[in-house]
Amino acid sequence: MKRAGRFQFLRRSLLFRYLLIIIAALLFIPVVVPLTIVLYSTFGGFTREDPPEEYALYSSVDKLEIIWHEEARKLLGQPPEGITERLRALSETYHLARIFWVDNEGRTQLITVPSGPPLLEGGHAAREVPSYWTAADTVSFMKDSAALKPLAIVAFVGDQAAAGEGFMVMQIPEVITNVKYAQGLNTWYMVVMMIFFIVFIGSSWFFFIMIRRRLLRLQTAMVFTGREGLPKAVIPGKPDEIGRLEEAFNTMVTELAASRSRETEEEGLRKRLVADLSHDLRTPLTVIRSHLHVLGKEDLSARGQESLELMDQRIESLGGLIDNLLAYNLLNSGRMTLKLEQKDVLRLLRESAAAWYPLWEKEGYQIEIDLEAAPLYWDVDVSWFRRVLDNLFQNILRHARSGLYVGIFTEIRGGNRVLVILDHGGGLDGSTDSKGAGLGLSIVDLLLKRMELEWSMESTGQGTGITIWKRLPDRII
Amino acid sequence: MGVTVLYVEDDREIGNAVSADLREREYAVRWLESGEGALEAAEGCQLVILDVMLPGLDGFTVGQRLKRVYPELPILMLSARTSIDDKLQGLEFADDYLTKPFHPDELAARIEVLLRRSGTAAPAPLILKHLVVSPGSSVVTEAASGREIMLTGKQFQIFSYLLRHLGQILTKEQIYEAVWGESYIEGDKTLMVHIRYLREKLELDPAAPEIIETVRGIGYRVRG
Repeated sequence: MKRAGRFQFLRRSLLFRYLLIIIAALLFIPVVVPLTIVLYSTFGGFTREDPPEEYALYSSVDKLEIIWHEEARKLLGQPPEGITERLRALSETYHLARIFWVDNEGRTQLITVPSGPPLLEGGHAAREVPSYWTAADTVSFMKDSAALKPLAIVAFVGDQAAAGEGFMVMQIPEVITNVKYAQGLNTWYMVVMMIFFIVFIGSSWFFFIMIRRRLLRLQTAMVFTGREGLPKAVIPGKPDEIGRLEEAFNTMVTELAASRSRETEEEGLRKRLVADLSHDLRTPLTVIRSHLHVLGKEDLSARGQESLELMDQRIESLGGLIDNLLAYNLLNSGRMTLKLEQKDVLRLLRESAAAWYPLWEKEGYQIEIDLEAAPLYWDVDVSWFRRVLDNLFQNILRHARSGLYVGIFTEIRGGNRVLVILDHGGGLDGSTDSKGAGLGLSIVDLLLKRMELEWSMESTGQGTGITIWKRLPDRII
Repeated sequence: MGVTVLYVEDDREIGNAVSADLREREYAVRWLESGEGALEAAEGCQLVILDVMLPGLDGFTVGQRLKRVYPELPILMLSARTSIDDKLQGLEFADDYLTKPFHPDELAARIEVLLRRSGTAAPAPLILKHLVVSPGSSVVTEAASGREIMLTGKQFQIFSYLLRHLGQILTKEQIYEAVWGESYIEGDKTLMVHIRYLREKLELDPAAPEIIETVRGIGYRVRG
């Protein structure tokens, strides 16, 4: 079981499979070459034609050499006639070979004529045996024999040069020794080798293609995210290293989804808590306000009416303050999700200003709005950007009454288009007017930062100027 | 016949105060302390005022059910929930959304607007300077001469849209997109041309318009 488990582990390993390919490559020559020969022999065994039986005598050159040297040894001390006689007798057995011998003085004593295929030397008839051997003839003969043109078995008579009785030669036609048992061996061998090569290259290629495909699939799954901004789980493949990576990826996606879900749940709970708090604070304020309204219908002195109006205004501000406080809490917790999209902020500014315009008008503000026509696209969350503008415009209404001026412009500063909101109030630094403005501005700050927008405020006794601009991407130096 | 308002509010103090104020303003009020029975009670009403946080079914659910049964019945959400999500959720079916603490006069003004928009308000003609706009704003006449002013289709749509938002400043984009039903492209003069022709028909002195006011830097407004 344990061994089976280990084997299973190896099968599940890409490394193991890669090693198999490497081992196959290393064993290619020592294993595949003999294998192909065995295959060929098996194949050849079925297809080859048997050579003539009389060729069997010549099938082993080694044996022939032993026999030839043995015969030479036996001829030691024999007279030339005896030698000739013996060789003639041998030539009857080995009639397909040419047998001749040369005595010690270089005279050829006997030449037999082969009865089978002719002796060839490079396709032509082999050279004739000279009747008298010169040194050059001997060297030439030895060179031809060494090159197997044709195959010659040479032995000194007596099997030793020192005997000084000459030498005897058996020349065997090439056709007999080189019987092609394997007609077409080269072609088939090449075919089999090629098949092995192709299989080896193909399996390596396939191995890496499969790895690449799975890695690409994983990469695609990581890059493309669904509606919730999370990658989708992949279908795990084989349980190898990539398979385990896919499983780890799926686990990560599941955990990410769970974490996102927890986050959404927490955000929902927080929102609900804030909504409940808002409700609990606003309900009594509504009651007080309706009672103030009833009181206002009574016959009250001018001072009494003034007090009622003041209380009503304070309740209105308190409502705004509750809103800001709860929004600040939500924003500061970092749990709020902003839906950033590219929007024309000048349009948002115009729409927001349109809503506040009647209120400023009612209070007698001088209103100057100059927003150039070309749209200005920034990545903003529409509702939260409106909230920023509402807070700023609210501040003008509440804290800049002394100046009775509101100006909304776009300007070019440092090559960047900016939004400018001006008032001529007493300023927000230390003036009695400024109470309550801080929280609204903190929300403005938090929201603009979250939308990756910059802002600045210059507040003096002559008024307050708010500038909002989009951060330019850092220049690459 | 007076206007009947269905009012759903679980807080007794607020309910009492609002009901009393509305009755003073000559509305007949049917006050329920929960959403239960709201569908039946809405029968014959001209407007619904709905709190969001109610015992049992919440105001959003009650409002959606009411809108399904009485699609023409205007609904005003009156809630202490002020988040933009709540407002958006409410305005998916409701016609207006007012947050607490509200001023009773503001509530009354919004009720008037909703009734006017739904055509339930007393069919009094709207008088704009020298013009009289008949209920539903389908006919515009000159008060002095009684001459009917003929408007083209687009002019009528623009004027109707401005009248539906009486007193509100509307941006060029808002008017264009409401009338033409497509996105406004900056620099398009079509709306300005139509407004010019409209003024030539409506205004006594088109060079100094009194009916369709230009709010510099923002858009246009017809004052009520």
